[in-house]
Amino acid sequence: MKNWFTLILVLLVGVLAACSNTEKEQGNSNSETTGSDVLTMSWAKDIGSGNPHVYAENEMFAQAMLYDPLVTYGKNGKIEPALATSWETSEDGKTYTFKLRENVLYSDGTTLTAENVKRNFDAVLENSAAHSWLEAVAIIDHVEAVDELTVKVQLKEAYYPFLQELTLIRPLRMLADSAFLEDGTKNGIKAPVGTGPWVLTDYKKDSHAEFSRNENYWGEKPKLKKVIVKVIPDSQARTMALQNGDIDLIFGSGQLAPIEYQTLAQSGQYETKISDPLSTRILAINSTYGATKDKNVRLALQHALDRKTIIEHVLNDLEKEAQSLFAPGYPYSDISLDPYQYDTDKSIELLEKAGWKLEPGNEFRTKNGETLTLVMPYNSNEQVDKAIAEYIQGAWRELGIDVQLIGEEWQLMIARAKKGEFNLIANDTWGVPYDPHMYIRTMAGEQQIGYYAQKGIPTSDQLTDNISKVIRSTNEEERRKLYENILQTIHEEAIFMPISYRTNYLAANKRVQNLSFSMQQYEVPLNTYEVK
Amino acid sequence: MMKKSVPLIISSMIVLLLVSTAVFAPWLAPNDPYATNMAMKLQGMSAAYPFGTDHLGRCVLSRLIMGARVSLFTALGVLAVTLVLSMVVGVAAGYLGGIADLVLMRACDILMAIPHFIFALVIVGALGGGVWNMFIAIIIVSWVGYARIIRNMVRGLKESTYVQYAKMTGVPTVKIVKRHILPFVFPQILLLLLIGTGSTVLLISELSFLGLGVTAPMPEWGMMISESKMYLSSNPMLMFVPGAMISLTVLIFDWFGDTLRDAIDPKMK
Amino acid sequence: MLAAIWGVTLVSFFLIRLIPVDPVEAYFAINNLPVTEEAIEEIREEQGLNKPLLFQYGLWLMNAVQLDFGQSFLTKTPVAEELLSRFSVTLGLAAAAFFIVIAISGIIGIWSVVKQGGLVDRFTRALVFATASMPSFWLGFVLVYVVSLKWGILPLMGWGTIEQSVLPAFTLALGYIPYYIRLIRTSMLEEIEKPHIAFARARGVKESIIIRRHVLKGILPALFTSLAMTCGGLLGGAAIIEAVFAIPGVGRYLVESMAARDYAVLQGFILIIGTLYVIFNFLADLLCAIVDPRARLKRGDI
Repeated sequence: MKNWFTLILVLLVGVLAACSNTEKEQGNSNSETTGSDVLTMSWAKDIGSGNPHVYAENEMFAQAMLYDPLVTYGKNGKIEPALATSWETSEDGKTYTFKLRENVLYSDGTTLTAENVKRNFDAVLENSAAHSWLEAVAIIDHVEAVDELTVKVQLKEAYYPFLQELTLIRPLRMLADSAFLEDGTKNGIKAPVGTGPWVLTDYKKDSHAEFSRNENYWGEKPKLKKVIVKVIPDSQARTMALQNGDIDLIFGSGQLAPIEYQTLAQSGQYETKISDPLSTRILAINSTYGATKDKNVRLALQHALDRKTIIEHVLNDLEKEAQSLFAPGYPYSDISLDPYQYDTDKSIELLEKAGWKLEPGNEFRTKNGETLTLVMPYNSNEQVDKAIAEYIQGAWRELGIDVQLIGEEWQLMIARAKKGEFNLIANDTWGVPYDPHMYIRTMAGEQQIGYYAQKGIPTSDQLTDNISKVIRSTNEEERRKLYENILQTIHEEAIFMPISYRTNYLAANKRVQNLSFSMQQYEVPLNTYEVK
Repeated sequence: MMKKSVPLIISSMIVLLLVSTAVFAPWLAPNDPYATNMAMKLQGMSAAYPFGTDHLGRCVLSRLIMGARVSLFTALGVLAVTLVLSMVVGVAAGYLGGIADLVLMRACDILMAIPHFIFALVIVGALGGGVWNMFIAIIIVSWVGYARIIRNMVRGLKESTYVQYAKMTGVPTVKIVKRHILPFVFPQILLLLLIGTGSTVLLISELSFLGLGVTAPMPEWGMMISESKMYLSSNPMLMFVPGAMISLTVLIFDWFGDTLRDAIDPKMK
Repeated sequence: MLAAIWGVTLVSFFLIRLIPVDPVEAYFAINNLPVTEEAIEEIREEQGLNKPLLFQYGLWLMNAVQLDFGQSFLTKTPVAEELLSRFSVTLGLAAAAFFIVIAISGIIGIWSVVKQGGLVDRFTRALVFATASMPSFWLGFVLVYVVSLKWGILPLMGWGTIEQSVLPAFTLALGYIPYYIRLIRTSMLEEIEKPHIAFARARGVKESIIIRRHVLKGILPALFTSLAMTCGGLLGGAAIIEAVFAIPGVGRYLVESMAARDYAVLQGFILIIGTLYVIFNFLADLLCAIVDPRARLKRGDI
């Protein structure tokens, strides 16, 4: 009998010892979080291994902190120098020559060279299947290092958004030679060594990451000495951590629920900020499926959408009302269209015109014995999407429209969307620096949400034709005309319902100053932040 | 004996009350549980909305009452199906023995070796969300344990003298099982299952909390908790109420099971 | 036992493949990237995902026997490495919860037998049952909200220190406590009624010695069997707790891997957990046999 107690005791002591071991480890990093030029922020996911050339499990904001592109995206889509100081485009739009910045140092002390840039491009091309979505990679024929600081990129065909796509956070950013594995970067890297403003100095998976200022950074150096990123998956837990003083900053779209942001903002104890429009939150309407094949039904839905209520009550005024697919200020997007106003009478009129009548005694409209049912899948883990869907369902019930919600895990929802089994589905445009060409381009690709939106309209062929023309066009005036035509068709056929322009938002301790936002949605401009 | 049955009478009355709330939910709910009204969102308690309203302006009390349907009906459905399934498998394995027993018990081992939660996650993932698939998933994870208990009980009974005697005198197997085995096994398993109903209610709410269970706008307690999570700092009541309903229901079923056991088998007390 | 483990390998390999959407498609979906069928096919080919299922299973099994579970599709690191670092955290959590379960249910269970029906006994039992009926995810939030945020006693979240482990371990443990109280109580009461106890009492042996030496020993087999079962439950239940308390454990990792359909990770995890469960059960039977030789005959045939 006694032996058993001893055994249990020994086991317990072992467990406690294991616990206290990890405590020591943790203790070290904790003591550093309280410095005066150290900022602690939360992030929902682990930052990943810091490979610049691949996607998940890497978080874009961390990749952007560590690595630099050749060129960056400035205000209103102006391309600005980064690792390349100047560039030239050949007459036929197929050759790009970049002059690299001199004396750019990687965090391991090596210098950026044309050979190294070529190696980065080649590593990305090596893994081309993974990047097939990105025309800037697919279109590259080969890359040449002309001299020490000159790189020439030869394209197979002209592609006007090439420079714009070079500004992306991934995959075309530069990694130091020392970090490459033998087979390139597709199976991992040795260490995250970049030229960016930050260097990864400590990292514990799923727990925290510590970034220190890159003292050799070629641009304006960050004011903060260190940034510590704590992984906190739950938004409510993030809010509590901010209230508790465990973290200084919560940043990003979706990192706080709208009501949580509003509560923090109204308390007056925190610095809160909302960015300018980034991407557009839309509902795509399937023109190939069920009742929404009919343009009159699509128009009726446009007039039935009460954006103001959604924005005020579900989004708590965090996002601005959207009337167009792309926010004003996007390249080629400033065309005047007559927006669809919220008008239920008009909506009912259009439904009647389409033959959907409300028989006495019925809750929903019918036509030839069929009920007006709209299938609307939503991501069951997205509380905001879900609330919008539920609101629409409730509101449209009064118009005699039966919205059938299907709550699914993200992967299953995407699989359903790929099969085109939906009438309405939440979708976002890509935002800066992708749009407008990226979102438009997906409309031509099979199995995409945008594809099902346009496939059923009578001018579908002409539309896809214009889309493939516009990205190949080397003539500015021609592009402008084509875009105008495309956006016009999208609007007239009523295949997308813009709800609001998504924004980044942040909540921080009062001690954090100089808060601002980047042009890119997934970039946190920590360089300019200060801590008092 | 009389004194013993007092708690049983009280607890069964409460269970009856709970079940009839679920049955008559549409008539009991003071408001339409699906009607959204943004102008009335996140209201406190009032005469019209006794428990206030949620983020879409729906009546919380009405949703709680309707939510009893999902939780209780699913749990009781699980109870019924699990009872039949585990009886069939358990009795077959226990009584027939041999290869049937070996195969069935190994299958049970394997099913039990994978944590329920993960199993349910995979099944709901494979079948898709919704009440019906959740129902199937819960049955698949819960019948095994009971089948095993029944099988062990049956094995014990098989060795008893009267079964041996019946066997020797040539009574057909089906008759033996009907007359000597089922009457002993049935009440015990029913009891265990009743006690287990509480944990089924918990599992339902857990899956819905993770977004794997019911689909909006169906009111379900677990989903109501996950919806109200973001209102924890501004409207803590929203989260408190459905949680309290879940634990109350679980408690009631636990208590009912306990008192029932005490009444049937006084030795256990 | 080996047959059961083999069965676990079958389930862990084929069960995962029942879920719609494969890892390659899932990879692009979590990144929200539109991708062509050809590109997906190409990567599938590269990963060996388009080979016959049985061939893939054989290959995986052969490696798994050598403790090589392949590499994560998402991170390209070996699954064993990924799982191990997180297992240690979850095991710590489960062990702490386990300790709380045993301590609390042991004390209350024994107390309730020794001082049956006392006011304190009734009150504590009622309290424990009430808290155990609460959904753990809900209780977790309420505890964090009240204890950490409003009172500021314990840390909010994270993992590594003893203070950080108190709330999550407690939340995880609560669900199991009534079960064990009930188990200890009923099996002790059963034991007390056995003739040798009555005989000891008649001999005038002290009550405390009877409880310690005879009654407690008698309930150990039942306890061991249940404990083995509870291990699996604790690990599964940890997933939700880990999400609520931001603990970098295996449960949370599993939910993430499920979202990304990371086959190698999921297979490796289910295989390891399943095998451990089978081994625990086997050990529990063994322990029972050692404690109570009579059980050897009874259990030998299970």
